[in-house]
Amino acid sequence: MSFIEVTKQLLSGFGTTCLLFILTILFALPLGLIICFGSMTRFKPLRYLTRAFVWIIRGTPLMLQLFVVFYVPGMLFDSPIFAQLENGRFIAALIAFVINYGCYFSEIYRGGIESISKGQYEACAVLGMTKTQTFFHVVLPQVVKRIIPPMSNEIITLVKDTSLARVIAVIDIIFAAEMILSLRALLWPLFYAGAFYLVFNGVLTLLFGYVEKRLDYYKV
Amino acid sequence: MKKKIVAVVLVIALMACCLAVFASCSKKQTDAEYILGKGTLVCGVTLYEPMNYADDEGEMTGFDTEFAEAVCAKLGIKAKFQVIKWSSKEIELNSKYIDCIWNGFTVNEERKQQVSFTQSYLNNTQCVVIKSSNAANFTNAEACAGMRAAAEAGSAGESAAKGLTAEANVTSVAAQITALTEVTSGTADFAVVDVILANSMVGKGAYSDLQIATGIQLEAEEYAVGFRKGSDMVEKVNKVIDELLADGTLLTIAQKYGVDGQLITK
Repeated sequence: MSFIEVTKQLLSGFGTTCLLFILTILFALPLGLIICFGSMTRFKPLRYLTRAFVWIIRGTPLMLQLFVVFYVPGMLFDSPIFAQLENGRFIAALIAFVINYGCYFSEIYRGGIESISKGQYEACAVLGMTKTQTFFHVVLPQVVKRIIPPMSNEIITLVKDTSLARVIAVIDIIFAAEMILSLRALLWPLFYAGAFYLVFNGVLTLLFGYVEKRLDYYKV
Repeated sequence: MKKKIVAVVLVIALMACCLAVFASCSKKQTDAEYILGKGTLVCGVTLYEPMNYADDEGEMTGFDTEFAEAVCAKLGIKAKFQVIKWSSKEIELNSKYIDCIWNGFTVNEERKQQVSFTQSYLNNTQCVVIKSSNAANFTNAEACAGMRAAAEAGSAGESAAKGLTAEANVTSVAAQITALTEVTSGTADFAVVDVILANSMVGKGAYSDLQIATGIQLEAEEYAVGFRKGSDMVEKVNKVIDELLADGTLLTIAQKYGVDGQLITK
């Protein structure tokens, strides 16, 4: 098996990896904010419910969550809901990743929001701003700036975590490399796959560095 | 506040009811009715030669692939091959993402508790794989005692390995191929894997420094197709296998992939 052939197969797996990564970010970022509001609400039942949910999701292995999302409907209710879909396995993986990362993001958001001093809220109230205005115009921009380092940490972890989707046989780049290994007895494609992650994360690191710099315009 | 709690409880109860209705909706039908009804038999496979693998054009081929296609053609349905993780095969089967495990699936007592097997169609043995440079040290089964072994977790090879050396010396790895990697990298002295797999893997590529220890004979075992426990598909597939054996189709396929020596013709 030539280098070009291996590259081709790995690239098609890497496409799945990238798609899973991008879609997870796209859905988990807003979901995290919603979960964050849930865990900060003054309505106690909802707050406890949300915090219990975050505890379960953060407290159990992502691999198990993938299993639960994908297999449990078929095992308990006799209806493999992802079987009819063309990309059922991918969608199941995406759901598990979005929920999992939504929970992690929610705690990062919460840390960011709670770091904003009470004085700012009072100042907004004095200026006659509504709660919504206060949040979106004053609090959120500062939160975004403050949470970029922990977020970039989590996002880089996500890039590598996507390879976990292979436990439900989503053919990502690592699974593609594993299949080459078991078919052709070639070990090097697995390490070659590592280079893809390294480059991808390198680009992300540069991107986050750039974003941090651009948001440097106001000091808190 | 109390009203709110009651509301939350009611919502949860409502969701539970929905789930229950959803569950009872699925009609009771036999496994064969279910599979023949949808017109496809989804076979759970892992890719390896010579059973199921992709040819140069990317088309699925291999002994089990053609075998499954021949059986399905007789049943008037289509065979579909779903790549799975071998460690999840039973869970894939029970959650109905696949309808059978048709991938050099070894029959053993523990597995009989979980799945219903068809008649066996291929003989297989476990074999000991070692470094060629180490061949002089592995002339018989006794030589394995005290050596470090690697085998796939839950495989027939794992139990064989435990018979050869102390249980503490056996490393259970995720896949048969990983067991070979353990030997190549020197973290294990020998691996116990399927002879059919070993024949197609050792002596080439990353495993060019490995060989089968010819002096060590291990227990024979058989391959069969695994269906969901109690499935009535077993009977139907058995009948078709008999037909394919009688008209020589299966032998032709076996010859094509060089496993005709191991074919069980009864």
